[in-house]
Amino acid sequence: MSSPLLTQPGSHSFWLNRLWAVAGAVSIRTKILGIVLGLVLLLGLSVTFQVRATLTRTMDDQLQEQAVSVARDLAARATDLILINDLYALHQLLRETQTNNGNVRYAFVVDEQGNVLAHTFGDGFPGDLLAANSAGPDDHHHTIILSTEEGKVWDTAVPIFEGRAGTARVGLSEVGVRRAVTSVTGQLLLTTILMSVVGVTAAALLTWFLTRPILRLAEAAQAVGQGDLGQRVPRWADDEIGDLADAFNALTETLQRAAAERSERDQLRARYVSGVMAAQEEERKRIARELHDSTSQSLTSLLVGLRALGNACDLPEVQQHVAELRGVAAEALRDVHDLARQLRPSVLDDLGLPAALERYAADWQRRHALTVDLAMRGLKEERLPMEVETALYRIVQEALTNVARHAQATTASVLVERHDGVVRAIIEDDGRGFDPPVAGQTEQRLGLYGIRERAELLGGTLTIESEAGLGSSLFVEIPLPFSQKPGFSAKNLVSTESLNSYPLPHDSHAHPSG
Amino acid sequence: MLAAACRPAADTPVVYLSDRRPLAGPVSEAVRPLRVAVAAVISPQGTVASYQLLLSYLADRLSRPVELVQRRTYAEVNALIETGAVDLAFVCTSAYVVGHDDFNMELLVAPRVNGRTVYYSLLIVPQASSAASMADLQGKVFAFTDPMSNSGRLYPTYLVQQLGSAPGQFFSRTFYTYSHDDAIHAVADGLADGAAVDSLVYDFAVAREPDLAERTRIIHRSPPFGIPPVVINPDLRPQLKAELQSLLLNMAGDPQGSAALQAIGVERFVLLNDPAYNSARDLLAAVRLEEP
Repeated sequence: MSSPLLTQPGSHSFWLNRLWAVAGAVSIRTKILGIVLGLVLLLGLSVTFQVRATLTRTMDDQLQEQAVSVARDLAARATDLILINDLYALHQLLRETQTNNGNVRYAFVVDEQGNVLAHTFGDGFPGDLLAANSAGPDDHHHTIILSTEEGKVWDTAVPIFEGRAGTARVGLSEVGVRRAVTSVTGQLLLTTILMSVVGVTAAALLTWFLTRPILRLAEAAQAVGQGDLGQRVPRWADDEIGDLADAFNALTETLQRAAAERSERDQLRARYVSGVMAAQEEERKRIARELHDSTSQSLTSLLVGLRALGNACDLPEVQQHVAELRGVAAEALRDVHDLARQLRPSVLDDLGLPAALERYAADWQRRHALTVDLAMRGLKEERLPMEVETALYRIVQEALTNVARHAQATTASVLVERHDGVVRAIIEDDGRGFDPPVAGQTEQRLGLYGIRERAELLGGTLTIESEAGLGSSLFVEIPLPFSQKPGFSAKNLVSTESLNSYPLPHDSHAHPSG
Repeated sequence: MLAAACRPAADTPVVYLSDRRPLAGPVSEAVRPLRVAVAAVISPQGTVASYQLLLSYLADRLSRPVELVQRRTYAEVNALIETGAVDLAFVCTSAYVVGHDDFNMELLVAPRVNGRTVYYSLLIVPQASSAASMADLQGKVFAFTDPMSNSGRLYPTYLVQQLGSAPGQFFSRTFYTYSHDDAIHAVADGLADGAAVDSLVYDFAVAREPDLAERTRIIHRSPPFGIPPVVINPDLRPQLKAELQSLLLNMAGDPQGSAALQAIGVERFVLLNDPAYNSARDLLAAVRLEEP
């Protein structure tokens, strides 16, 4: 997947690329879920943070105001009690002050000389507390924040009776405030989590609706890629994805039509090529038969006549001429035989492929003074269909011709074997080899093309392995129809397409073009 | 100043609330202060405000710190005098009578106000009240000052008993304010339908808060009683007793002393004999007090 981001240089683009590498690698479903979850979390967390900060500030302010009002109230109510030395009532007042004001951690009253008259601590009095805060006679109040092991405490000092009766001290703990803030924060976070769950569920549903047609399109496109052009997708909705589905359907329809046309053309061409080949074979067969039956018979008659002429005339001159003519005629007869065999060896029709290939290999060795190893397996028991035999014979013939003409080889080997409903031919040489895509000279290319054409007409394949200087190997594989061997269908190695191509040579046999 | 005090200081001192230590007792001073008790004739804050100058004067002249001691009731002050916990005390007339007869509470000097050493019990009602005598206050709410007060309790009880009743039946409800100025305020604010107060305190309060005169009305004035005196414990050192007596008697001749006397509404201190309190003593004997 490419992006305009990738093309931008600089350090920023590095991170953008990294981001895109992560974001681009996940599915749309994940992306949408990520966006929804991200937004809900961002919103929830920022609101929580903001509310927490505001609440803390507001409640701290309120706590401070409460500290001042409680301390001033205490100072006002304590005045007479201090002046008349009613310490018990003063103690009661402090306890009531603490009981009636939830945040009051402690309260105590100090007399003018700095002695604690009454306090709410029960046993003992915190060491440094007394000296921590004080208020002058003219102060309205004096508040400081103390750090204690129980958290912050707002300590407010208020002079009693303008300081003449001492000072009232009240400490308000932030514990209650913190608890309230924590509770609100917890509730907000819980809400955020619940909203995240709801958001993710909704987004999951939404993306399921959104991506279902896209996934269906992807599946259909994949099927089209594998050759199933019948794929059509429904138009889910009247939106961009719907347009995409329509475009996809139009595309596959065009592709299907084009494929159908090409298939028809291919069939026509195959039928034509097959027809041409069948006609060629028939023509060769006819010429060979003609040469054998007519020309050979004429030449044989000529030889017989010449022998009779030689016997009838004792003239040495005539005798010598007759002998010479008989030599010419005999050679002509051999040539005609060779020609007939090359055109169409009758042994192929009469004795089958193994005998024909053995004869051809012997001829080829003799003619080109090269060694060929011929091996055949599984061909003796039952004859192959005629068109397969012909094709294999011509393929071996063409391949060995190529070897003789172009390979500069010393040895060639031919293996033909029948195995599990397939007949395979491997022709190898130790020559100079060639580069398969280029495949040597035009003539050689044409030869290979003929081999491939013959193989493919029967639903088979040609594989070429060659490298410069290391010889070459041709692998030809042709499937056989079911009827050829029991249990063949179980292997199911032959496609419908390859079966379909079989009737063509049969047809051409039934209706010879010559 | 207010703005500066409103914000907590920037630094936060560290205090460990669990670090409990026993509280140090009051520091014993090298010089024992002269302890002066003032009975709650007026409210504690009013007492502090009024007697501040007098106490400062005494401290200055005696070269010795002076400590003001207040208690809610006259009885508590009497107990302090009896045990010698206070050296000098300003007490109510009836408290003196009781103290004198109980443990020989000794009369040191008495204040003279408007040229006289007597005072009255004033029966006051709210300005709007239609009551013209104690008889009209039957079934009403009545404010007493102190259970031991001559003008604030004994005399009104005496009046009710003269009507053939007792305060518990006569009034619908009674309560104690423990000071005369609070009793005046209780009537002025309509909290009580009537109260009996010290004439000296009433005059002094009206002088300070003139609208009290507009909100209250005097419907009865008692016969004169001996003025609330200045007393000492009978066992006080004679030398100190003489020193205090001389100091108080001569206050009026001194500008600072004169100002201190003015602050408590007294012309000067004079010598007075115990028989001046016989009228109060008679009243105390005549009245059958119920438990407060």
